[in-house]
Amino acid sequence: MQSTLLRVDYLVHAYRQAPWRIQRQWLGGFLLAVLGIAMVASLYLDVTAQAAISGRQIQNLTSDIITTQQGNADLQTKLAELDSSSSMEARAQRLGYQPVDPTQLQYIVVPGYAAPKPDILAVAPAFRPSAPSIPPEYTESLIQWLQDTLRVNPGMSMTGIVQ
Amino acid sequence: MRQRYAWRSLLLAGLLAFIGVSVVLQIVRIQNSPEATIFRVQAAEYANVLQTFYPERGEIYDRDGHLLAGNKTVYEVGVQLSDAHDKHAIALAVAAELGLNPETLYAQMMNPPDKLQYLVLADYVDSDRAAQLQQLQVSTAAQTPAGQAGSLAGLHFRAHPQRSYPEGSLASNILGFVSREGRGYFGIEEKYNNLLAGNPIQVWVPTDPHKAVDIPRVPDGTTLVLTINRDLQASVEEILDDSLTKYGAQHGTIVVMDPQTGEILALASSPRMDPAQFWNYSSIYHNASEFDRAVSMPYEPGSVLKILTMAAAVDTGTVAPSTPFLDTGAIMVGGATIRNWDDQAWGQQDMIGCLQHSLNVCLAWVSTKMGAQNFYGYMSRFGLGHLTGIDLAGEAAGRLKVPGDGDWYPVDLATNAFGQGVSVTPIQMVMAASAIAGDGRMVTPHVLYAMVRNGRQYSVPPQYAGSPIAANTAHTLNQMLAISLENESSNALVPGYRIAGKTGTAQIPGDYGYEAGVTNASFIGWGPVDDPKFMVYVWLERPSASIWGSETAAPVFSLVAQRAITILNIPPDSVRNQIAKP
Repeated sequence: MQSTLLRVDYLVHAYRQAPWRIQRQWLGGFLLAVLGIAMVASLYLDVTAQAAISGRQIQNLTSDIITTQQGNADLQTKLAELDSSSSMEARAQRLGYQPVDPTQLQYIVVPGYAAPKPDILAVAPAFRPSAPSIPPEYTESLIQWLQDTLRVNPGMSMTGIVQ
Repeated sequence: MRQRYAWRSLLLAGLLAFIGVSVVLQIVRIQNSPEATIFRVQAAEYANVLQTFYPERGEIYDRDGHLLAGNKTVYEVGVQLSDAHDKHAIALAVAAELGLNPETLYAQMMNPPDKLQYLVLADYVDSDRAAQLQQLQVSTAAQTPAGQAGSLAGLHFRAHPQRSYPEGSLASNILGFVSREGRGYFGIEEKYNNLLAGNPIQVWVPTDPHKAVDIPRVPDGTTLVLTINRDLQASVEEILDDSLTKYGAQHGTIVVMDPQTGEILALASSPRMDPAQFWNYSSIYHNASEFDRAVSMPYEPGSVLKILTMAAAVDTGTVAPSTPFLDTGAIMVGGATIRNWDDQAWGQQDMIGCLQHSLNVCLAWVSTKMGAQNFYGYMSRFGLGHLTGIDLAGEAAGRLKVPGDGDWYPVDLATNAFGQGVSVTPIQMVMAASAIAGDGRMVTPHVLYAMVRNGRQYSVPPQYAGSPIAANTAHTLNQMLAISLENESSNALVPGYRIAGKTGTAQIPGDYGYEAGVTNASFIGWGPVDDPKFMVYVWLERPSASIWGSETAAPVFSLVAQRAITILNIPPDSVRNQIAKP
């Protein structure tokens, strides 16, 4: 009986993990958790930084669009000033032209010719499409995505399609 | 040995754990403190800003695509007084670049009103000048640190849009202007303000760049294309200005319209202003009706109205061109004696002679023979006393007294027949006369040729305002008026073109009857008679060189007509007949 007990003690002692081994397991688990948290944090930081940069770029581009539009309007006005009636008259006079007297006009009859009637000569504003819509992937959180997905597909669960 | 130092490790670990737990507890405490709630509320207030996206105001073009009104960027130049260490240098620099008085600027900065910290030194500064000033500020900053003498630190520039008018004051009576707040006043700018201005859109934009939001596309205001011919408009304004000087008139108005479509080709009125400098409005005009006399200022037109009286009489069959009339120089109507313009008797006349010599007595006889009901019925159908509906702001309806009105007397039937005691605007007369020029069909005058929105064009079709007289009557009147001008060898005639028209010389009513020695001189005419392409109305106010319309307004009409046929490429009658008979 005593020999049996001794054998059991021996076996228990033989197969019990060493204390340093247990400490290492705990340490490993802790480091694994820290690593996981660090990875998630770095990913989150990277994504949010990129989103912030993109957001700032959008703001800058919006500002650039407004500036460009203002520049276009300025250039259009300058062009119109150069082409204004008074400017053109002054240029014509500098080039030696003078106002025509109606009696000096000569009309030539051209059979079959129909003078082009100005329908509309103003430049139509160019079509400007709306700013592209921002996909929800860039704005929604994971929880929102899950909620939307479940709302759209109520039969879907995390484990798959259920009947 | 290990046991000996174990307690130190445990103590250090406990200390670090305590610090860590304390930090976490402190974080939790701060997050849930009353101050945190206040900060959260404050942060929420600044989390979004309400931004208003204004559409670019629509442009205005003439019928050939010349820009009459556009947009440009101008700058407000101001100074933040707390940052301005050398106000003298700022005053000198701003004054030199912008052409202002440096002493005034310096005084403003030294004694700001209401102890303002930000002072506007100049506004509506052109981008070129603002850029020069900015460049000077940058180069000065490189040489002179802020806080030292000569520094332009504190100078600020704020860009904002402004309506631009590349043609200056050209067609300003038609265009109107846009105020600092972006609202249109007078003319097209007011009439079509909603279309031109578009619809601003307000959006809550998060200040956090993580939260990008859709910026909605704000459609620009509608672009308008006018019926105005820029070159003709410039010529007409030049002729008007010259005529005011030549004939010593106080003011004047000239309207050129296509009588077949109602398109206003040119409309000039004095005085004019540069709409880009709208702040000068009150120093140029005394009241709103002076801005565009053609549509806003009714007056007694005088004998030009005889064409309507005669048209009504011919249409009713009361008279014909050959109807004889013995002019004795006076006629009694309603207890009052009507006389001719020269107080003379012109003897035996027909209706063409009555128009040719502009006989008041004859026309008074015609109207009384026609009867008040007929006469006023026709005048009303011609649009007198009613708005024409022209698409310009501030139109006045004038006044046509009719039997039954408290201030109507039987003599008015006679005086109204030759344009006295009735007030009309030039645009009303042009519309009424279009019935005579255009086969009895009266057109509504309009200035809008087309609208352009999102790349699509919406043309404005001609609108007709009824047919007050028959086509035959219109043809008869055309011949009568053309013959009367030719017989008279009028100053209004245009070589090579057959013209129909009528002069008008009207006394000016004052507080105590008609003023002595001053008149309103008018002329209305159109041509070519067989296919009218233009109708011109001239009104000169109080000409001093001559009181007669035949000596002032008629030659002005001829000048305008000659310029119109050149610019509009209207061949002489002989050439057109050649085209008609190939």
